[in-house]
Amino acid sequence: MTTAPPDERSERRPSRSVVLLRPVPGSSVVHDLWAGTKLLAVGGISVLLTFYPGWIAIGLVAALVLTTVRLAHIPRGALPNVPHWLWILLALGGMSAAFAGGSPTIHVAGVPIGLGGLLNFLRVTTLSFVLLGLGAMVSWTTNVAEIAPAVAALGRPLRWLRVPVDEWAVTIALALRAFPMLIDEFRVLYAARRLRPKRVADTRRARRRRWALEVVDLITTALTVTLRRADEMGDAITARGGIGQISALPSRPKQADWIALGITIAVCAAAVALEIPLGR
Amino acid sequence: MAALCAATAIISIVVPFAGALSLLGTVPMGLLAYRYRFRVLIAGAVAAGLIAFLIAGLGGLMTVGHSAYVGGLTGVVKRRQRGTGTVIVVSILAGAVFNAFAVAALALLSRLRHLIFDAITANINGVAAVLTGIGRFVTEHPFPLSGRIAHGLDRTAHGLQWFLGEALHYWPWLIFANGTVSIVAVSLIGWWALSRVLNRMRGIPDVHKLDALPDTAPIGPVPVRLDEVSFRYPNTDHDALRPVNLQVTADEHLAITGANGSGKTTLMLVLAGREPTSGTIERPGSVGLGRLGGTAVVMQHPESQVLGTRVADDVVWGLPPGTTTDVAQLLREVGLESHAERDTGSLSGGELQRLAVAAALAREPALLIADEVTSMVDQEGREALLGVLSGLKQRHRTALVHITHYNNEAESADSTINLSESGDNTSMVETIPVPVATPAMGHESGPAILEVTGVSHEYNSGTPWAKAALRDVNFAVHQGDGLLIHGGNGSGKSTLAWILAGLTVPTTGSCLLDGRPSHEQVGAVALSFQAARLQLMRSRVDLEVASAAGFSPKDQDRVATALAVVGLDSALAKRRIDQLSGGQMRRVVLAGLLARSPRALILDEPLAGLDAVTQSGLVRLLEELRREQGLTVVVISHDFGGLEELCPRTLDLRDGVLHAVTAAAGGLS
Repeated sequence: MTTAPPDERSERRPSRSVVLLRPVPGSSVVHDLWAGTKLLAVGGISVLLTFYPGWIAIGLVAALVLTTVRLAHIPRGALPNVPHWLWILLALGGMSAAFAGGSPTIHVAGVPIGLGGLLNFLRVTTLSFVLLGLGAMVSWTTNVAEIAPAVAALGRPLRWLRVPVDEWAVTIALALRAFPMLIDEFRVLYAARRLRPKRVADTRRARRRRWALEVVDLITTALTVTLRRADEMGDAITARGGIGQISALPSRPKQADWIALGITIAVCAAAVALEIPLGR
Repeated sequence: MAALCAATAIISIVVPFAGALSLLGTVPMGLLAYRYRFRVLIAGAVAAGLIAFLIAGLGGLMTVGHSAYVGGLTGVVKRRQRGTGTVIVVSILAGAVFNAFAVAALALLSRLRHLIFDAITANINGVAAVLTGIGRFVTEHPFPLSGRIAHGLDRTAHGLQWFLGEALHYWPWLIFANGTVSIVAVSLIGWWALSRVLNRMRGIPDVHKLDALPDTAPIGPVPVRLDEVSFRYPNTDHDALRPVNLQVTADEHLAITGANGSGKTTLMLVLAGREPTSGTIERPGSVGLGRLGGTAVVMQHPESQVLGTRVADDVVWGLPPGTTTDVAQLLREVGLESHAERDTGSLSGGELQRLAVAAALAREPALLIADEVTSMVDQEGREALLGVLSGLKQRHRTALVHITHYNNEAESADSTINLSESGDNTSMVETIPVPVATPAMGHESGPAILEVTGVSHEYNSGTPWAKAALRDVNFAVHQGDGLLIHGGNGSGKSTLAWILAGLTVPTTGSCLLDGRPSHEQVGAVALSFQAARLQLMRSRVDLEVASAAGFSPKDQDRVATALAVVGLDSALAKRRIDQLSGGQMRRVVLAGLLARSPRALILDEPLAGLDAVTQSGLVRLLEELRREQGLTVVVISHDFGGLEELCPRTLDLRDGVLHAVTAAAGGLS
């Protein structure tokens, strides 16, 4: 018997939800790297791709990202679901670009097909995916607790310019601490909103007015809750005598970090060296 | 705040086409700039930018930068009380500077520019090629008007390509002009929308209590002697703390009890350094709030107490740089030694409070004040926490002032002071031993309303973060039933509440309301959340009740009736939500929910954070509603205090599994 229970039909399988700012469980070489190394590498590669967005650079960086994924044992489940409309949109963009033709041209069954437009489109798309992947690697392998101390350490030279780096690091640490709590509160807020009856409005004007009113209400409630939370945390900070240390264990770059940085620099240098002779 | 902005940034990345959403990100930024100094805005923007970058890449960073600009502009202009003219001037300047930079950057980054321009050209050429192709097709297959159509298409295609060519030729000017105009436009729209929202925000009260004092004198908070000390908040007409005499010596364990509103928290503030309105305080030195050897305070809300993301980090959080602390020893003392590397987000309420105690002890305080630390904590956590507090004396030279509304917590103290006028101890909450899960009596004869069959739920299933919350839960709720689902922190009881209300679709199994899946009938079962404030969305009581119940706010009679059902006076209808007490908020929520005659009412931790009198009043109200109107009530709680009448039937939830379910009473075959 394969008949499904009656309620099975209506039960939509929940799509994989996006998990934010939580490292993939487990440990690996990549997990153990100092957070500052990862931030530096991602920043450097972003700059590289901004200056030299050619196929070689994109390819090399993509290879680097994929190798890191393998090293860090990131399962496929960590990827969020890509909504269907995005694929459709990409296909549409690809199609309209493909019609442009241009060099290089290949011959399929005697018909010349110009691939220039499609290749350009593919390059832009791949570039944005690679950049997204870089950011994702950091959040998949880094405990959020390590980020703020790393920012403080990396920003130390800026102190010479009187930039309040330590203040920023504390803000980042607190924001990362408050992030999951606020997400929970917004979930409740959204659920409370769903529990309410929907008022029917007759005219479009009335509907718009009501929509605007509801948005303002939601924002106000969200901010009231956030401010209350902020006041409580402020009290807790005062009770601890203001800001000071944020980390119990000093984190420093180790040997693995230097190696990782070396590899990143080597990849960047290779990309630049290969791109320049090809450049326009 | 930064997290709020980052959350909005994520949403606007997830929904790239709902561009309007990024306007929402400007609200928190605007508020920051409006309320605080410019430096705060910068720090907030940096933090939000980093988080957004980690989550959504460069695009997220851009969104945050944009929000910070618009929000900051509006907030600062609003605070300086300037008008639209200023906004226009500033935005033209900002637009010119920013776009000059953008053009310069693009001129420098020639490769990226070529790539972007090539991609745009490719897309336009593609469209043109298609248009020309159609034109040719039309000419080859003549039909009426075909000549004109073909001609039109051809011209459009050429026009597009010509336009693009010209645009790319003059790109620096085009980008500059377009960018400046759009920045001015965005600034004006942001200004217009945001100044409205900010006006509304002005009413949000500042609820922070503690103030840092400039300490110059040597630290010495104990022994302290209070002589006829009273306190009155500015702009009020009665004393929050009536004249009180007390003395705290070193090593003493003093308990302070009293009902809500008797001034317990105010007394804590006075002990923590606030100047009293009248009376005298004698201490040997300064209070030294949070300093080494000074005064430490642990407060009510577990989540807000803990500031570090990792347990070990939280212990040292805020200590002066260079201080060395024996973190392991402190964690051992509060029984968290195995948790040093854990995320603080995964701790239960009781564990969080013990961690807060450890962080307080890291300062070797001479005076430790615990202000209602157990009121948001479950039974098990409460016992562990009290064990830690009463064991303090053996290891530390610290005086402990324990403020509580629980009777038995006060008993372990050396001396007790009651701040209530009557000194009537019967109003104190008694903690009650866990009752055994009881088989229901024969009186729930009504039909089953909610049927939960084989329900399991897993969060984030399919990802590496998958976490089971419920496992094979079966039970039924009948018409007029009173059911208590009891469980500690992390037992999955809130998940169960969400499933019952139809807000969450269980991974497997079904939850049926009147025979149909409950997630298709969201709103038919009322759910009162633990955080009542999150459920109150309007600014005033009458607007709130009307909106929650779905009738017009002009219908004063129905508002009054709805309020009367939950025992609130109709005079409260015009009161602002932010001026309500915790108990009143909960009742207003109930008024809105009950006015829709729900099939069942689910209450998640309805008694958390309320004092004894308010608790018993609320329970009595629910009992009456259940008895007289046949309301079906499901209470989800880690507490038992006085719930036996309301909920004759108890189910015990532990680690996502229902224990001692009485199959006969459940009515399942």
